[in-house]
Amino acid sequence: MARTLRGSFLWRNRVLLTGAAMLLLAINIFFTGNRPGARAAKPSLALLWTLRPFQNSAAELASDAQGFFHDYLDLVNVRQQNDALKREVAELEAEHTRMVELQVENRHLADLLELHEALGMSAVAARVIGVDPSGISRTLIISGGSDSGLQREDAVISTEGVVGKLIAVGPDSSRVLLIDDHNSGLDAFDQRSRARGIVTGELDAGMTMKYVDRTEDVRPGDAIVTSGMDGNFPGGLLIGTISQVSQEGPGLFLNVAVRPAVNFRELEQVLILTQKPAPAAGQS
Amino acid sequence: MRLLALFSLATVIALALETIIPRWLPLGPLMPDLVLVLAVDLGLRHQQATAALMAFGMGYAADSFSGAHLGLEAFVLTLAFLIAYALSRYLISSSAAIGVFVVVIGEFMIGAGQYAASAGWNSAGGFAAILPAIAWRALASALVAPSIFALMEAAARMVGLRQHAVRE
Repeated sequence: MARTLRGSFLWRNRVLLTGAAMLLLAINIFFTGNRPGARAAKPSLALLWTLRPFQNSAAELASDAQGFFHDYLDLVNVRQQNDALKREVAELEAEHTRMVELQVENRHLADLLELHEALGMSAVAARVIGVDPSGISRTLIISGGSDSGLQREDAVISTEGVVGKLIAVGPDSSRVLLIDDHNSGLDAFDQRSRARGIVTGELDAGMTMKYVDRTEDVRPGDAIVTSGMDGNFPGGLLIGTISQVSQEGPGLFLNVAVRPAVNFRELEQVLILTQKPAPAAGQS
Repeated sequence: MRLLALFSLATVIALALETIIPRWLPLGPLMPDLVLVLAVDLGLRHQQATAALMAFGMGYAADSFSGAHLGLEAFVLTLAFLIAYALSRYLISSSAAIGVFVVVIGEFMIGAGQYAASAGWNSAGGFAAILPAIAWRALASALVAPSIFALMEAAARMVGLRQHAVRE
């Protein structure tokens, strides 16, 4: 019986057949997993939660290591001093680095609080704990999750401007799709001329504002702000500034390059708007 | 069970490194795809049906932290596993060179998949813009792959796992 089973086609090709079944499952997840509340996405949220302690610890470790490295460099030139003094200096330097770090964090949080109060909407502050490793997609992992009341599609902003929106929410960590990702699209206005368009990320780098009519008056340096029409972001939040405007080809629209207001690489603290904005004027 | 434990631990470490390192060290596209390398290692040395399931699981885990399309990495990592498996069986070898070749192919498949999933094939001209980034990432992954293969081989030997690349 066992020999018959081992000699069968299914047994001989079990690895390939299992692989093929997994390929079909992956295709199924690809087409169904991105829908809101999809069952296929639930385990991925659990994974996000599982790795969070590692990411937190690694982030803190990396931060400490960076501080230590800076302290070490500072001390290289004072090797002649006695050991006791060295230790004292090192301790003071470490303390100072910690204080500066706390001061910066405090300032970020104070700025976020100020922004939160100015917006008058319920919001949750969170820390950036990871980045997208792919290099092509642009997403961040933040420390807040459904336990803090966060939901998919919630708007993520910083003191500098719009950051993105949540695309996956685990219990205590979430993923943010940045506005410069090529899958992102944000309804926006030129603050000066009120010209409207959709701000989206480019595959190589940067952002563009699409569907701006050739007749519109848009100029480099103009601020681009959210329109408030998409139901996620309140109107008037800074997205970036126009860096270049061109009219190549016979198309109906202008090519408008936008420089993001937020430096995503240096982002440490963000604010997630847990309350949807009131519909903007003109929106049904 | 030992195989599952070993590769689960390796995947968790790889994902933690991949999501944390770029935050402190701006490697950009030079950050190697460690999980892809692990999936290829599975295909080269652990030719079992459970390994195919694990390659899928590793891809799904990578999907949870990367990209905007769930299922893409799961698909590519399973495919990379199958290619590595088929090549290693056909050539009766689990040489690192085969693994490096599959890692490079896999990296291009991920890049093309991400592009196709978001931009569609209609705007194929845009693919050229991300090609250098994909090539750098493939190169970085290919460079670290032999070390990871050696590391995983040593780890597998340590926990007493059988590794083979012969026609059963």
